[in-house]
Amino acid sequence: MAVSWRKDGVYRDGSLNYGRLALYAIMIFVAIIWGAPFIWMFVTSIKPDNEVFSYPPTWWPDEPTLEFYTRLFDSFPMLQWFRNSLIVATITTVLTLATNILAAYPLARMRFRGRRIVLLIILSTFLLPGEILLVPLFLGMIKFKLANTYFSIAVPAAANAFGVFLMTQFFLSIPVELEEAARLDGCSRLGLLWRIFIPLSKPVIATVAIFTFVRSWNDFFWPLIISNTDATRTVPVGLAVFVGRGLSMRFGVIMASAAAATIPAVIFFLLLQRYFVRGISTTGLQG
Amino acid sequence: MSNLAPKGKRAASSWNSIKNDLIAYAFMAPYLVLFIVFLLLPAFVGVYASFTKWGIIGEPKWRGLKNYTKLLNSELFIESLQNTLYFVVLAAIPLIVLGFLLALLVNQKLRGRNIARAIVFLPHVVSVAAVGIIFQWILERSSGLLNYYLGLLGVNPPINWLGDPDSAMPAIAITTIWWTVNGNMIIYLAGLQDIPEDLYEAARIDGAGRWQEVRYVTIPMLMPVNAFVIPLTVIACWRVFGQVFVMTRGGPQGSTFTIAQYIYETAFVKFDMGVASAAGVILMLITLSFTIIQLRAMKVI
Repeated sequence: MAVSWRKDGVYRDGSLNYGRLALYAIMIFVAIIWGAPFIWMFVTSIKPDNEVFSYPPTWWPDEPTLEFYTRLFDSFPMLQWFRNSLIVATITTVLTLATNILAAYPLARMRFRGRRIVLLIILSTFLLPGEILLVPLFLGMIKFKLANTYFSIAVPAAANAFGVFLMTQFFLSIPVELEEAARLDGCSRLGLLWRIFIPLSKPVIATVAIFTFVRSWNDFFWPLIISNTDATRTVPVGLAVFVGRGLSMRFGVIMASAAAATIPAVIFFLLLQRYFVRGISTTGLQG
Repeated sequence: MSNLAPKGKRAASSWNSIKNDLIAYAFMAPYLVLFIVFLLLPAFVGVYASFTKWGIIGEPKWRGLKNYTKLLNSELFIESLQNTLYFVVLAAIPLIVLGFLLALLVNQKLRGRNIARAIVFLPHVVSVAAVGIIFQWILERSSGLLNYYLGLLGVNPPINWLGDPDSAMPAIAITTIWWTVNGNMIIYLAGLQDIPEDLYEAARIDGAGRWQEVRYVTIPMLMPVNAFVIPLTVIACWRVFGQVFVMTRGGPQGSTFTIAQYIYETAFVKFDMGVASAAGVILMLITLSFTIIQLRAMKVI
């Protein structure tokens, strides 16, 4: 990026480059449109009741208050929901990583009967709308008395084929010579996976882990139908069912709960941004 | 998928080859168990269930095509189809076009473009529940942010976004675009960065201007990207659920009642599993036929 700040948007003779200035204007407008709802949520959450509906809208309260954040945890079992989300997302992520790494190895590196069929079936599920699975999964969980358990929320999500696809792609890019050298040294296939493939695949493993975690954390339809007690209910379901219902309650509390659910995700994203970008741009899948 | 070819070597003897197959399947077994039990099997059971009468308890009873004829004669279901189609038109086209334009924008060598990318991407990690809550407040009729600024631009009287059957679905579409356009932006951005610089240079030598570059280099080079962005965006739009569930519950007057909402109510409120499954199959047929038509039109298959 060889643009100097002083000269960008200005020609050498000092006249303005309107095309570039317009691009900057559009970019700032875009940043405002996508940033403002977050700021508005946060500002509302620290407004005392008498300022929430002030007209015209104010972007900072006269008397900011954190009252609603303290009240939040009395109004809803937020901490329990957070705990549930954390447990569910962790189970899904660990299970996904373990099974996907193992499955990706033969798919990328071995010739075996049925390989094409297995790949084809796995990949074709990308086009399957998940709604068709809800009824059978629900009836199955009821039948085996697994409704309202962490198992029922977390495990079906690990069947998703996105990680297998991404890891298979990545394993294909690892040089064969490395593998052959290790095999000559008498390394077993499991040893190979552990000593060569996993260390070399850290970036893609991180991408799959973060993606799976966020998808599980934000998953909505399935957790909504399979959990109806606070003992297992996740944050999005709790928010949707109790907090967001028609915004009938006090705005400060509602916005504070939305903010409390959003802020950890935002921090998580800012720390791990590049993995998201890689995950989406290499697979086209958005969770 | 041509780059998914194996690099291993074909085993020599037949015993070795069987052993090799066993090892391969042993590695895949844990995933395949999850895949079969929680994805493949439920998909088949879902199709089977669509031909039965099935409550929350008890055995399924074969009904043939009755669930389907019932659905196609149900005004509510037809309405949900129409509403969802309307949503697809309202949301999918901007999601694709705007995703592309945003990618073009943040691909320019502008100062602060990384910050702009990050801000547009931020909603990606926010759950639909929080997004729905934030936008209910922004779209609120009398004190909402959007109406206030529209008012400054001369839009009067204020729009009752979520309360008026005419504007509720556009409001859901606006929310959806804000929430998910970033995924398409990132995919197009990666596509843009894969276009070799010399193509632009060649175009410039031939005297192409900025927009001609976009028209004759960028857009044709992004066709392979379109081949998966468009179907995945359209499928996601047909499946719209969370935004509607949180923001309108299908109202007002059923104007935002979508297919997924229909499936939810039929299966998990009325416990009519057979009819709900049939609706799921119809949803699958719609998205599948759209994907096939679209890939045909683009000559991918």
